[in-house]
Amino acid sequence: MDSFINQYGFLIVQMVLQAVLALSLYLPLMAGQLSLASPAFYAVGGYVAAVLSTQKFLPPAGTVFPEPVQSLVIWLATVFPGAQDGLYPAGLVVLEMLIAGLISGVLALMVGFPALRLRGIYLALATIAFVEIVRVLSLNLPVTGGAIGIFNIPQPFHTKFEYLWIAGPLILLSVWFVARLERTRVGRAFAALREDELAATAMGINPTYHKVLAFTLGAVLAGMVGVVSAHFLNTWNARQGTFDLGVLVLAYVVIGGARTFAGPVLGALLLTALPEVLRAVAGLPGLPTWLTEFLREGRLIIYGILIAVGTVFFPQGLLTPEIFTRRRRPPGIQDSGAGETAPTEVS
Amino acid sequence: MMKVSLRLRIAFLVLLAISLTSIPAVFAQDATEEAPPVELTGEPVRIGFAVAESGGSSLFGQEQVIGAEIARDYFNDHGGINGRPIELVFQDAASDEAGAINAFQTLISSDVVGIVGPTLSQQAFAADPLAEEAAVPVIGPSNTHPDIPGIGDFIARVSAPVTVVAPNAVDAALALNPDVETVAVFYAQNDAFATSETVVFQAYVEEQGLTLLPVQTFQTTDTDFTTQITNVLPSEPDLIIISGLAVDSGNLVRQLRELGFAGPIVGGNGLNSTNMFTVCQALCDGIILAQAYSPLAEGEINQALVEIYEEEQGRTPGQFTGQAFAAVQVFVEALRALDDEVGLDTLELADLRVQLNETLLGLTYEDTPLGTISFTEDGDIVQAAYFVAQIEMSEDGTEGSFVLLPSAEEEAE
Repeated sequence: MDSFINQYGFLIVQMVLQAVLALSLYLPLMAGQLSLASPAFYAVGGYVAAVLSTQKFLPPAGTVFPEPVQSLVIWLATVFPGAQDGLYPAGLVVLEMLIAGLISGVLALMVGFPALRLRGIYLALATIAFVEIVRVLSLNLPVTGGAIGIFNIPQPFHTKFEYLWIAGPLILLSVWFVARLERTRVGRAFAALREDELAATAMGINPTYHKVLAFTLGAVLAGMVGVVSAHFLNTWNARQGTFDLGVLVLAYVVIGGARTFAGPVLGALLLTALPEVLRAVAGLPGLPTWLTEFLREGRLIIYGILIAVGTVFFPQGLLTPEIFTRRRRPPGIQDSGAGETAPTEVS
Repeated sequence: MMKVSLRLRIAFLVLLAISLTSIPAVFAQDATEEAPPVELTGEPVRIGFAVAESGGSSLFGQEQVIGAEIARDYFNDHGGINGRPIELVFQDAASDEAGAINAFQTLISSDVVGIVGPTLSQQAFAADPLAEEAAVPVIGPSNTHPDIPGIGDFIARVSAPVTVVAPNAVDAALALNPDVETVAVFYAQNDAFATSETVVFQAYVEEQGLTLLPVQTFQTTDTDFTTQITNVLPSEPDLIIISGLAVDSGNLVRQLRELGFAGPIVGGNGLNSTNMFTVCQALCDGIILAQAYSPLAEGEINQALVEIYEEEQGRTPGQFTGQAFAAVQVFVEALRALDDEVGLDTLELADLRVQLNETLLGLTYEDTPLGTISFTEDGDIVQAAYFVAQIEMSEDGTEGSFVLLPSAEEEAE
């Protein structure tokens, strides 16, 4: 077991982090907004962590913050275990997460109001543009270290697997939050907006408020994942949180299923693990040489084929709400599809 | 809508679950290579090789894999590790940080004695600390950032940092054109290497007492450089220095010449590629470059490498190939020395890794594709000679080659 954790500890935490990132993209999607902005907030969160931990908190030179704040920082540094033997205090990572969440949230409000006036593919394009703006800024701002980025980010743990102490609660809390959200008034308002914005507005749902709310919640989550990832990867640069990541995270949601919170989580876990599973399969003893060669050289081809096959056979994703409701649907309530018939006459 | 039965979903998940559960079996053995030549006997000595075989940097990784494979075959033909065959265990580090960490982790958990990789400095900052923590010697084949050897005791590299290589080209240009007074610098601001290289160039230009015109930036994806060129040409620079990648720099050189710049051009490491010839064709002629590796360098091993590479690939090897070969060679020679000294069989894997690291840092490698090299205490490369080359194009611009210039050090002798 030890050697398993040694080898796959990084992968397990990576899977969890990607799952939270998938949730951050799922949140705006709950309200029917296809936004690819998550990577931008992820990148911002990473830079917040990188800058704060390498330059601001606990600098050798002494205090950088005015007094009450600095005392809070010092207190946080000691209240959690981990401050011993040269490790970076985990409490400060949590503080960084709060700060990054706040910054991402404010940024999301600023971007959200104008961007969410756009719909569908235009919104997706606008958010891609935002991702690009963040990338170009991080290449050019002196504080972000240019193309090489910021490295030697202090580690709060000895091994990568121990990051589960942060990533584990993060995913449990966010899953719990999103699962609860789906059952509250706000969550139902999101669903109503997703199904039909016009009808939802007619029922008294404020579309702008709810769309921006969903977008901002996703941004906060992405910012927090960025913080953990920066420490986790030990380095942060402009190649993190680019459009490529946006496409990958979208694939998690599409493969896993975009109608329930469990879909993105499952999709992220599977798709993050898959390339490494294929790498491991290629290393199995006793396989014929040609198969080993093919698995080793062509594992990304297999990965691509599995994604394609997945989308063909499960166009709604692997998990759909019907799977969960099948057994305990109250009598008299139909599938969600039933609601789609009415609005066509209105429009 | 296409209805998919629950059963089918479960079957798909079960299938994936089965492949997941097969992970632990990997500890038994790692990806194996083909059988070694017959004359070698005994358990092969495994060296990990994790470079970018996929993703945006895979063009570099591909050259590195070729260099490593040539090195493996060459040294296996020349006795292996005192009779034991050398085996390379390849793991794709992809072009991102997570990929490098996964590849390194797989190798660290396997029975390799050391690791060559990864391709990019950014990846090294992410993955090298893991090897340091696990006490596995790492040799960076192409990590040029100044802070790489400082990551730890087990981290060394055979790629000379830009701070050492770049000034040689400026020296050569000044030797050829003693009247140079004003210098214009261009660089690709979205490329990590170009941005760190240009800092070295600029500092060196100012150190030489030359006048530096306002620095011009571009993107590696740019094709039109008119704005930047018209910004500097009115100030009549005597020398232009470019840090970028092959294609963008090729276009930049072409447009510089077309807009009337006739003076000398110094190129950074990114221009050190035959891929540029097709872009600026006859206008590439005369560009001066500093190289950490030259296929023209004499030395038995380098010439053997060039011969095998040309036979297999039909072109001359570049820096990535030469440095990857040298990285494998360092491990091979250190393993031989360690075997002579204490015997590899007598050591447990963990001990072997630690002692191998000590041995390899202490040796001097007389004949590598990079010439004579050794390491500082920190693990940075000490390279006896660098190369300065000038591009020579045929009249019609279809054929080009690098011609070695005498380096400044040699002239001084």
